[in-house]
Amino acid sequence: MNAPLSSALLRKEDQRLITGTGQFSADAHPVGLLHGHVIRSPHAHARIARIDLSAVRSAAGVHLVLTAQDVQAAGFADLPNAVQVKDPQGQPQAVCTMPVLAHDKVLYVGQPVAWVVADTALQAQDAAELAHIDYDTLDAVVTYADATAPGAVQLHAQAPGNTSVKFEAGDRAAVDAAFAQAHYVSDIDVDSQRLVGSPMEPRAVWAWHDEAKGITHVHTPTQGVGGMAGFLAHITRWPHESVEVHTHDVGGSFGLRGTAYSEHLMVLLSTRQLKRPVGWVGSRSEVFVSDWHGRALRLHGHIALDAQGRILAMRFENQVDVGAYNVYFSTHIGARNLSITMGGAYQVPALHMSSHIYFTNTVPVSAYRGAGRPDIAYAIDRLIDHAAQQHGLDGVAIRRKNFIAPHAFPYTTANQTVYDSGHFEAVMDHAIGMSEPQGLAQRRADALQRGCLLGRGLAYYLEASGPGGAAKDQVRGSFDAQGVLTLRALTGASGQGHETSFAQIVQNEIGLSASAVRYLAGEPEQGLVGNSTGGSRTLYGAGSAIKNLCQQLMDQAKPAIAALWACDTANISHAKGEWQEMSGAKRRLRFADWIASLGAQAAQVQAVGEATSGATFPNGCHIAEVEINIASGVAEVSHYWAVDDVGLVISPEQVLGQVHGGVVQGMGQAFGEHVIYDRETGQLLTGSYMDYPMPRAGGLLRHFHHETHAVHTDLNLLGAKGVGESGCSGSLPALANAVSDALRQVGAPPMDMPFTPAKLWAAIQAAPGKP
Amino acid sequence: MKLNLTLNGTPRSADVPERTLLADLLRDTFGMTGTHVGCDTTQCGCCTVHVDGQAVKSCTMLAVQADGCTVTTIEGLGADGLHPVQQAFSQCHGLQCGFCTPGMVMATVDLLRRNPKPTPEDIAEGLSGNLCRCTGYVNIIRAVQQASQVMQGDKP
Repeated sequence: MNAPLSSALLRKEDQRLITGTGQFSADAHPVGLLHGHVIRSPHAHARIARIDLSAVRSAAGVHLVLTAQDVQAAGFADLPNAVQVKDPQGQPQAVCTMPVLAHDKVLYVGQPVAWVVADTALQAQDAAELAHIDYDTLDAVVTYADATAPGAVQLHAQAPGNTSVKFEAGDRAAVDAAFAQAHYVSDIDVDSQRLVGSPMEPRAVWAWHDEAKGITHVHTPTQGVGGMAGFLAHITRWPHESVEVHTHDVGGSFGLRGTAYSEHLMVLLSTRQLKRPVGWVGSRSEVFVSDWHGRALRLHGHIALDAQGRILAMRFENQVDVGAYNVYFSTHIGARNLSITMGGAYQVPALHMSSHIYFTNTVPVSAYRGAGRPDIAYAIDRLIDHAAQQHGLDGVAIRRKNFIAPHAFPYTTANQTVYDSGHFEAVMDHAIGMSEPQGLAQRRADALQRGCLLGRGLAYYLEASGPGGAAKDQVRGSFDAQGVLTLRALTGASGQGHETSFAQIVQNEIGLSASAVRYLAGEPEQGLVGNSTGGSRTLYGAGSAIKNLCQQLMDQAKPAIAALWACDTANISHAKGEWQEMSGAKRRLRFADWIASLGAQAAQVQAVGEATSGATFPNGCHIAEVEINIASGVAEVSHYWAVDDVGLVISPEQVLGQVHGGVVQGMGQAFGEHVIYDRETGQLLTGSYMDYPMPRAGGLLRHFHHETHAVHTDLNLLGAKGVGESGCSGSLPALANAVSDALRQVGAPPMDMPFTPAKLWAAIQAAPGKP
Repeated sequence: MKLNLTLNGTPRSADVPERTLLADLLRDTFGMTGTHVGCDTTQCGCCTVHVDGQAVKSCTMLAVQADGCTVTTIEGLGADGLHPVQQAFSQCHGLQCGFCTPGMVMATVDLLRRNPKPTPEDIAEGLSGNLCRCTGYVNIIRAVQQASQVMQGDKP
């Protein structure tokens, strides 16, 4: 257990955030700021016949109007697609990238078509209403069935059948052979419906151009300034050193703030043309149709078991809706992230999956908390639960029998992913032990007395945290004359509390008070290499670099200590931030005291710590009990128990906070959240918080019990595994298994998420065993 | 249109277009950027402030409607140091990204004024107009309970 921060407040971030003195990107009001507004497509699919913006240009306060022609003249590239894959025949994926502004066609409601800059935001909005744009509307496709039907309208000429690629991974022949000799087989359709990520801070950006230095300064929420600067330089084709990104406080991200959007590019182009600061702040209605959407995956899972209940093979056939274009990480999600852990925590000799990556007239999809990993974890444990039920087997016993054994690590899966460590049976037993199994029958009876069906679901998830795109993570540490250590790196927080956790690592390693450590990530930091925040990897990525930095600081100080004590360096050692003379006077000196003694000289102590850290494998067991009111169909989670192996824990409060948030995002998806498009028109029907049911404070985690169960990892210097995406990975299958268990009691079949009151009520009413 | 109000204890005046929202007046004219705007349909509560002592979603009130009123924003809440609600939100880890926090805190202060000893159900109902995407609300409810105890003179 770590020493608590020496403050009345829990985190270093909190003082400014609870007093309203944080700096979110929309909070800046630089002198002379002009305001941009996006003219968006009102249609899901249309040809742009004519654009007349003359009335917009002459409207009051307007300084600039831009269309696709201006983007083209500026030489901007399209928004990038991060990875390109091939089909089994070796044909490369049809990659259809998104233009910054639409030119001849629009492919989804909300797609940016033109851009207006005016003195005030209201003037820009008013002017935008004067635009005359003629659209020749086309049929829209928003479902897999419609998009891939013969004769369906085509979104992209280079993607016949609205297909980007039919990707495969694993060994089809081995899986076929295993199914041929299986004693039990089962299959289930698992939908991980389209969501909006919905960080509470709407996306915002403002920029100004420093003519003298030729640098455009961009202020915007990011997950790391380096990642955003890279995307902006790539799209603008401006020299990398001419774009500097600054990020201050970020109001949530969940994967959505890591990439550049059209509005960023419009602001950059405008500020250079107008030589004035230009900004844009999205309304919630706008970000519903312009922040990349999440999930949008349908997985059809098959499992083959032998007579003893051992898993012989798993197969997944996936439908991956990427929306209207390939942007950023959608292919990565549908191809890589669904395949790398598709055996979960289980020893599965044969694995195969296919992913049909296809286009629809909807907002493009990219990463949202877990980016495919919660989805496959959900499908695996639904499949195992379903197979157990179907064949009268015990779900816990099946899991126990098939877990990768502790002595089998390092374990190479059939898909060639190497897991380093885990003790899945111990973690499951830990969770079951907490979960009051002996009281279940009574709780079910009590629930029925209240008119509720109580379902219990257990799930074991395993996910791969992010390997990181940068070769390593670096952290620069330098002291000031007051002995305060400033850490600088590229990984930026959006609620995870980096400032606090990193200070705690320093405190643990070299005994420097956490209050004497500060962390800066939002400044353009030329010369440092590192990853942005994402894939649950910051704590062990940058955290390991900080541990290395601390080691370097101790090594650097060693000669000075030896000189101070007039002894040989070989005669001093250190542990936990304290030097000790090994023989002679056996003097001791704490690093913190030594730094303090240096006075102004402390400013000369600095180092760059670094570490190379790949993916880790957080895993855990979540158990949920859900009560469904028979009369109303309303479901409530009455108990939730979770045990997570996230490796070393630095900040227990923040780990628990991440689990709460992740589990409740899973509950949001399980019980309500669902982006719905009108099938005929392609209009977004869930375009605001009035139509899109975000989780609220009521009826949520009433009895939530969480413990960690660390199994050692050597994959990084720190020994942490990451926690950001654990909550939603464990909660989706646990909640869905619980709901299925409740429905089974009345003979109702499993259903797709979200488990809304209307769907649950109708299922119970139609069930043969309706109470 | 001209208006006068008392903002965080100080008389202020402004001349703004009639359609200006109170939230925009506070943020853009008076620089009180602790009041956040998280939606445009009065659902998220990030913009909650006090108008004459009552919690109000400032994105859904015209600036001119606050003419002659006393308005308190998050910046004016803890004039003599941190308010117990602010402290409790930090100590109970009731915030992560912090974007919803000013609205949560202002709504909580009004909730505890009306109901000094709320049950968890009262808190959930009282804060159902304030959205948070990070915390899952578990620690927010704990924070409100702790603040209630502190304000009642009990030790947390």
